[in-house]
Amino acid sequence: MVSFLQFITGGLFLGGMYTLIALGIVTIYKSTRVFNLSQGWMVTLGAFMLVTLVKWFGPVPGVIAGLAFGALLGLAVDRLLMRPLIGQPLIAAFLLTIMLAYIFEGINILVWGSFSYEMPLKLPGHPIRLGEVVLGHSLLWGIGVAILAFAAFSLFYWRTLMGRVMRATAEDHQTAQSLGLPVKGVFSLSWVLAGMLSIIGGLFLGVVSGVNMLMYQSLLGAIAVVLLGGLDSIAGAIVGGMILGLIQSLVTGYLSPSLADVIPYIILLGILIIKPYGLFGLVRIERL
Amino acid sequence: MDRPAGVFDVRYEQDMAVVRTGPQWATLIGFLILLAVLPLFAGSYFLSFMILTGIALIAVLGLNILTGYAGQISLGHQAFVAVGAYTTAVLMDSFHWNFWATVPMAGIAAAGVGVLFGLPSFRLKMLYLTMSTLAAQFIIMAFFNHAFPDYFHSVSGIRVNRPELWGIDFRENEAFYYVVIVIAVLMTFFAKNLVRSRSGRAFVAIRDNDLAGEVIGINVARYKLYAFAIGCFYAGIAGSLWATYFRNVNPPHFHIDVSIWYLGCLIVGGMGTTVGAVFGVLFLRIIKELVTFISPILSGMVSPIDAPKIAPGLAVISWTSVVVLFLIFEPRGLAHTWEVLKSRFRHWPFKYSI
Repeated sequence: MVSFLQFITGGLFLGGMYTLIALGIVTIYKSTRVFNLSQGWMVTLGAFMLVTLVKWFGPVPGVIAGLAFGALLGLAVDRLLMRPLIGQPLIAAFLLTIMLAYIFEGINILVWGSFSYEMPLKLPGHPIRLGEVVLGHSLLWGIGVAILAFAAFSLFYWRTLMGRVMRATAEDHQTAQSLGLPVKGVFSLSWVLAGMLSIIGGLFLGVVSGVNMLMYQSLLGAIAVVLLGGLDSIAGAIVGGMILGLIQSLVTGYLSPSLADVIPYIILLGILIIKPYGLFGLVRIERL
Repeated sequence: MDRPAGVFDVRYEQDMAVVRTGPQWATLIGFLILLAVLPLFAGSYFLSFMILTGIALIAVLGLNILTGYAGQISLGHQAFVAVGAYTTAVLMDSFHWNFWATVPMAGIAAAGVGVLFGLPSFRLKMLYLTMSTLAAQFIIMAFFNHAFPDYFHSVSGIRVNRPELWGIDFRENEAFYYVVIVIAVLMTFFAKNLVRSRSGRAFVAIRDNDLAGEVIGINVARYKLYAFAIGCFYAGIAGSLWATYFRNVNPPHFHIDVSIWYLGCLIVGGMGTTVGAVFGVLFLRIIKELVTFISPILSGMVSPIDAPKIAPGLAVISWTSVVVLFLIFEPRGLAHTWEVLKSRFRHWPFKYSI
């Protein structure tokens, strides 16, 4: 029972991290229709960058500088790489994000080498004790931030003017453009948001499990989350993330850790066969 | 189809021929002779380069049929290569088969697994199908990693011996080179012909618009499975050669990075052209060799702490940046550049006309 509660907390934390990555992917996909496979790599790059920035500037200014870096990274990717591909088949942009993932990996190796780093940062608070169960406060922070990010994004999309503009763009690029909406600006904004989300994800993942090159191996599982929840659904990101995180944590704990790496892909294949558009995804009717 | 002035097709055979003119025949035969005599004067380094290029070419030709012609993007091609490699290795190691019998078996096994993972393509398209092939990569490799440790020996790897035939020992690279090159040339010829056949045209129709293809009477589901079967058959053959070249089959050989690398070759060369697959593989292989040549020099120039980062970092960045540049500036790949060059040459001093 004790270990069960800890598995649940661990699973929810993992789910929270998945949610943060999935939110980034969904934000980009919703507005640009590009599936950003490199989101997990952006999180890793963000975590490495945070290690350096926090060492230079101290905790709070370091994290703010990190967020600025994430925003710049997103902006750079959009302006330099995605903008020239407007008008090309969407699959070209998708292939480009795959290659981008490897470029991020190469930058990681060139700048930081293949070492493990500690995140030089402590989250406020201390572990919570419930009877015999000890819950790490960093885990709870991670879960809380994921839920907060979900709430913030939901509010942004449904209550603010910019969110409405983004939803309109997501509906149809040409119509949005002809109505005078800043479509290219929306593309840039969604990449900036995804870049900042990747920094937040990198921060909490780095605090809990350290920063190393193996991170994106596990983060690639987040694509299963996105497809499970639905490619264009914000709610799907958090529901899918939590489901996958829990399943993966319980399988690691009770069955075998070696199985845990495959779990996202088995779920991915299953959901693709049963319900390709995901739990909350919008089913698009194809016309000739 | 652009031909020199004064060359006309007067019979259907001429119109359908792959090799059309005398100079084309001459260059083809000259190239084949060059390939045949290469081991006589090439060093061992260049030979191993050619062998690896040949193996990669076979795999990329398969991916070209699946992705370039039929439009089913696969992110898990190296897993199908792994199926071929493991088939050969297990049949030779545990069942003591002859190597030559295992090569077609490797192709058939990979084709079977390919069809299995191609089944989702009935319902899925584009991005979604790509994701299911990504899942295939991880599921297949997890299978080889964890299932049947008595056969797959995932910790130590399976040792594979190089074959012997009619008294020729293929343990030397000079001899093994011929195995790879002969198979690669045959497979290239087959790929080139396949895409001109009924199936090839059906693949192109499915790629361009599968609904329209279905309307004009193409059995889309069946031809998608054909594409998976043929593409993965190529991968299986490549895997069989891969296993015998490295003489050891280990799960880390078949990482997803290599699957992506194959896709990169296809983008650089130009999707949907057989000559593009050849160009792409050669181009990215040369870049790989250049990086292994340059990185020790660069490592010498930086501080000792940074030196070990250079080689692995550059190895990843170099080819991916090339692919990104191609995606942005020449999405039709080197095959298109080649056509433009030929056309310029023909129309000089006028502007080219493609």
